[in-house]
Amino acid sequence: MEKLAGAAPAAAVPATRRKRSLRRIGITGWLFASPWILGLLCFYAVPMLSSIYFSFTTYSILQPGEFVGLSNYVELFNDPLFWKSIYNTIYFAVFFVPLSIFVGVSLAMMLNMKVKGMAMFRTIFFLPTLVPQVALSVLWMWLLHPNFGLVNGMLASIGIDGPPWLGGEAWSKPSLILMSLWGIGQAVVIYLAGLGDISEEYYEAAAIDGASWFQKTRAVTLPLLTPVIFYNLVMGTIGAFQQFTLPYTLTKGQGTPSNSMTFYVMYLYENGFRYFKMGYASAMAWILFVIVMALTALIFVTSKRWVHYQGK
Amino acid sequence: MKKTWKTAMLTLVNLLTASLFVTACGTSTGTGNADEPGVTTVTLWHGLTSIDLDNMNNVVKVFEEKNPTVKIKLVYTESSEGSDQKLLTAVAGGNPPDAALFDRFKVGTWAAQGSLTDLSDMAEKSGIRKEMYYPFAWDESSYQGKLYAIPLDTDARLLFYNKDHFKEVGLDPENPPKTIAELESAAEKLTIKEGKRFKRVGFIPWYSQGWLYTWGWVFGGQFQDAATGKITANDPKVVEALQWMTDFGKKYNVEDITGFTSAAGTEEMDPFISGQISMKVTGNFAVKGIKKFNPKLNYGVTQIPSPSGKDFTTWSGGGSIIIPKGAKNAEVAWKFLEFLGKEEGQELVNKDSNLSVIDAVNVKYGYKDDPIMKEFINVLPNSHNRPVIPEGQLLWNELASATEKSTHGNGTPKENLDRVTETVNKALEKYNK
Repeated sequence: MEKLAGAAPAAAVPATRRKRSLRRIGITGWLFASPWILGLLCFYAVPMLSSIYFSFTTYSILQPGEFVGLSNYVELFNDPLFWKSIYNTIYFAVFFVPLSIFVGVSLAMMLNMKVKGMAMFRTIFFLPTLVPQVALSVLWMWLLHPNFGLVNGMLASIGIDGPPWLGGEAWSKPSLILMSLWGIGQAVVIYLAGLGDISEEYYEAAAIDGASWFQKTRAVTLPLLTPVIFYNLVMGTIGAFQQFTLPYTLTKGQGTPSNSMTFYVMYLYENGFRYFKMGYASAMAWILFVIVMALTALIFVTSKRWVHYQGK
Repeated sequence: MKKTWKTAMLTLVNLLTASLFVTACGTSTGTGNADEPGVTTVTLWHGLTSIDLDNMNNVVKVFEEKNPTVKIKLVYTESSEGSDQKLLTAVAGGNPPDAALFDRFKVGTWAAQGSLTDLSDMAEKSGIRKEMYYPFAWDESSYQGKLYAIPLDTDARLLFYNKDHFKEVGLDPENPPKTIAELESAAEKLTIKEGKRFKRVGFIPWYSQGWLYTWGWVFGGQFQDAATGKITANDPKVVEALQWMTDFGKKYNVEDITGFTSAAGTEEMDPFISGQISMKVTGNFAVKGIKKFNPKLNYGVTQIPSPSGKDFTTWSGGGSIIIPKGAKNAEVAWKFLEFLGKEEGQELVNKDSNLSVIDAVNVKYGYKDDPIMKEFINVLPNSHNRPVIPEGQLLWNELASATEKSTHGNGTPKENLDRVTETVNKALEKYNK
């Protein structure tokens, strides 16, 4: 075999040979990447494609099941708990995602101020994200205990009769949204990075024009932060639709009270691993995939109107 | 150029083979091979901790002394859902352990999926028979007339009541309620409510272990037709039980009760242990917690009050040991199951911890002389087991949901239980084909 041509200066190599060497480099690259590609194929592509197939069968994990066409999907659309879980999940997403952006941006702006000891505040707001979700849910169960919890205790001391929180159908999802905001630190860090990226010149220019803090925020900070908001919006939406750990641990997998805490992925898990209806669960997974895909596409399409990139 | 493609393809193929080889190696571990000639190692998956694990280690020691050709390898797998998932993957992957501890509740489901070894013949040869155990323990280990598990331990539900609270409101602590009517009036006397908040709750029918299975059976209902195997959650007696629960909830305002129950803690925060609730239905497993967190609690246990004041009953669950389908050393593993299923093994495995499924063992433990434990032993011969069906979990969840809906006024008990019956029977249809 001839020697690898890559060592020779490119200009000295005739065009055809150069092409060949490039291809060689390409192949070497593919070879190096192949373990990863293999992993991707084996652990993502194959399971995904099989789950499409399983969604048309009565696969139960322990038995291969038979092909039943679209009947899993038909059954799903007639399953009241499926609709309830979609409702719960959308409810959560609709309130949680905008709220998390609002709170996240506000927090980041506060944490961006040049005050002494700011590093400490930043740490404080980031710390809760380091607590495992299961531990977090147990902690919150204590805090939100209707009769003996700290929250209602504090409310009682100022004369307010606190709600049943996780015990009531009307309050369970708002409570969950409140708890989920606890894990906002991750997003705040990204917003902070985005804020740090905004050039000081804009503010100086705005100050010369006599802009107030509010005007600066509205005309400079927010528009230039939109790429980061966009990122967090997409990730937040996807995350909200995959809500699982918190409600699962809070309700011991039961979705109580009255299925008000049965979230989509929880119900999917229950079908797959507790009822052994893996075909049904696969169908649910694909519906979720389509929903999330569509929403993400929608966000991407509308983003052209409101996302501003610096220097463009 | 073709040559380079060839090498690339070759490398890919090599990589694929290598990865297959790696996975193949992965699957061959875990079954354990004999480290000495003539010795077979049986792998047992379990989720035991503390005293139960000590007991199991002891069982293994005694068993190995008697069977020098068998070694038992205990492998801890996380308990509850986690262990099932691991077992599920192992069985589905064709590489299960030789034996596993298993919730009897799930025997029906797994047997219907063809994932458990039929133990009937081996049991017959070894002289393991139904008469050895409490009837419910055997029934819950069997599916469609075949034995799929050896029952290990059991539990039962009773009414726990706070004797100090009884004295305080003028009730006789040595004469707890026997009928539903007496239970209601005691609950009324014991409850202290200020506005929407309970300062003390007398009783909540569906709290802790007192839920629809409990009351359905106590009211004399049946959840399954013995002849057809069909689910009968809308049995008139079960409907009556749920109606009673619903009325009870209405009386004390179900929303206020839900506020209390949903927030009720466990361990030292358990409302019975901390004196926030005067009576509750729970099982023998609660005794340990009371001893640990409030040993001074002055309480008693009694049979769950029934409409007539007699024919007391309850229901029981518990653990078992199974041999998964496809286990490599099923024959040898059976020896261990047999040992655990007979008196000697039973006595070792449940010592100072659980109720045995063999009455004689419980007598040997001295439970019949213990004021608390004897009540449990007395009711066990009449205890029920949950219907052994492939959709046991579905029935469980549907009953829970029907109870919640009815007590919260979403539909009548009859309507909700009709729906449960219909849903579960429809899900069962596919197994009868």
